[in-house]
Amino acid sequence: MNIKINHIAKMEGHTGFMASVIKGDVKSAKLQVQEGIRLIEGILIGREYKDMPLIAQRICGICPVVHNLTSIKALENAMNVSVSVETEKLRALLEHAQIIHSHALHLFFLSLADFLDMDSDIELIKKYPKEAKKAIKIREYGMEIVKVVGGRVVHPLTNEVGGFKKIPDREALQKLVFNFAEILKITLELGQFFKKIKIPDFSRETEYVCLDKKGEYAIYDGDIISNRGLRIPAEKFETNFSELQKQNEIIKKVEHQGKSYMVGAIARINNNRSKLKENAFEYLNNLGWDFPDYNPFHNILAQMTEVIHAVEASRKIMLELLSSDLNKALTKKIAIKEGMGAAAVEAPRGTLYYHVEVDGRGYVKNVNIITPTAQFLSNLEDDIAAYIPRILKLKDKEKEKKIRAFIRAYDPCISCAVH
Amino acid sequence: MPAKKTIKSKKPRVAIVSLTSCEGCQFILLDLGERFLKFAEEIELVDFRLIEDMEDDNKKLDLVLVEGNPVTEENIKTLKEARKRAKILAALGNCAAMGGVPEMKNYHEGVNAIKHVYKYIQGINNPEIKEIDNFVKVDFVFPGCPINGEEFLKYIPELLIGKIPIIPDQPVCVKCKKAGNRCLLLDKIPCFGPMILGGCGAVCPSARSQCQGCRGLRPTGNVIAMRAALKNMMSDEQFQNMAEIFGLRDDLEEREKNK
Repeated sequence: MNIKINHIAKMEGHTGFMASVIKGDVKSAKLQVQEGIRLIEGILIGREYKDMPLIAQRICGICPVVHNLTSIKALENAMNVSVSVETEKLRALLEHAQIIHSHALHLFFLSLADFLDMDSDIELIKKYPKEAKKAIKIREYGMEIVKVVGGRVVHPLTNEVGGFKKIPDREALQKLVFNFAEILKITLELGQFFKKIKIPDFSRETEYVCLDKKGEYAIYDGDIISNRGLRIPAEKFETNFSELQKQNEIIKKVEHQGKSYMVGAIARINNNRSKLKENAFEYLNNLGWDFPDYNPFHNILAQMTEVIHAVEASRKIMLELLSSDLNKALTKKIAIKEGMGAAAVEAPRGTLYYHVEVDGRGYVKNVNIITPTAQFLSNLEDDIAAYIPRILKLKDKEKEKKIRAFIRAYDPCISCAVH
Repeated sequence: MPAKKTIKSKKPRVAIVSLTSCEGCQFILLDLGERFLKFAEEIELVDFRLIEDMEDDNKKLDLVLVEGNPVTEENIKTLKEARKRAKILAALGNCAAMGGVPEMKNYHEGVNAIKHVYKYIQGINNPEIKEIDNFVKVDFVFPGCPINGEEFLKYIPELLIGKIPIIPDQPVCVKCKKAGNRCLLLDKIPCFGPMILGGCGAVCPSARSQCQGCRGLRPTGNVIAMRAALKNMMSDEQFQNMAEIFGLRDDLEEREKNK
């Protein structure tokens, strides 16, 4: 028997799905990617370093911020450029804000309808108008932070190698801090709504990989760790993980020691939950999970927890920025140097990794980009293969629905994975 | 209530079709939040796969908005079918209108750029990148990378009643000056603003970022004067490189040839 889904909507990029089951045994379960190749890495070779962030961020319209940040950090590491504390804080703020609006979109508008057995958000919004308004407000708060700091939400403008072209307006930052209490309140209310959703019971052990930093819930910076004892600096990523391309596949999937692994909100929560901010920590504790938690559907609630955390963490960063001299974040003249650099940042969907080599004139010689979705795709396929036997008795339409819901709970970004 | 039913059937039928892209232009629409939902209520949204997972009815459309490049054979098929069904077809953003970031490969290694990325290249669609107007007739362009949400809301009502709007022939500079920005050219930062079609609110120069022409040349933009003005700020090679980012280079060359 084959299970075939031609196209899965409500996610970034284009993919279908195909599984083959013989006498109850799942022989294969694979996403069938329908995205075109843009060859972003190929395009970057031979271009000036300044072009790289603005081209690379166009890999993804939902998470351009993290592509911007990671490419700039990798370039700075390659050319040995150091930046001010204020610059780093503005960047960390951008990434927290990115997580707020990306997660809020996925939680409510891409994934929720699946758990309520609906096909369309128009239907969802009609049935839950208050919750929809809350989700939109939370998204808008995250987007407003990106706009104030980055100059624009989709494809931000101000951040560059060495610092910021323009610093945010103090009054705009103050206003965002002022709005914090209300946003936290509605975020916690939305959290209560999500807590009541019936989530399928399924689990399969895996390795959880994410960044880790002393004293904080790592988002912008840190070493790469896992729940199975891995701890390496970001630049050692490519020597520990293998990127594989199989014939006729346009996503280069990533494995760790020959096995699939998981990144993203559920991985971060499992590894770093003790470092969540107060309200987020309390919310997570009240979910009553046993850790390690291996239910991939829980990714939704892990994202909800992270939205609460990111709202709280953003406030802290904004307060610190407001009591510092923001002018220190403005770019100073940098020296162009030949070199090689790597960087990793936590994207909404997991650790994003960049490696870049620059020549003496500041032109890109080589570049490799490894996205979260490319990393978790094998894990997703392994999970679905383990899940299918439980739904074999359902009618075809129902089976399809369950698989669509499973794939969407992972929040894959096929545009990122193919690039 | 039959009366209500008649009103419902009068709603214009709209589809939003996404080819290969970052999908950022679709997110601009979603990012309009409640204003987008209001727009969605005024139309019959036949296909917008970012927010619904329903079967398309394959019937006639009043308007189709196309985002992205036709890179795969499936993309080309989707695009042509959309055209057949639609009264009006509009490009949504720079990739559909001008080739966008992916077009850069045409200017250099072309199809060979694939060798930097993949070991096994058999069976992968890797065509020269061509804007959608090479395949179908395009009635209107929402320019920009990404599109401007405010501009979308401004022109969409006309399109919904079957009219083709005209974006005023003004440079990016008009809004830039209005915003009180110091001209980047005065600081010797090369900026394409004067020859590029305004309507973006000068969002880039307002963030101290040079205009790189994602909205395309304006009808009366003087490309020869622009090149001359930038001569002491950048080399010919740098000028060309900057014009490649958003697929402007081929349009510039054509304009210069016809002058």
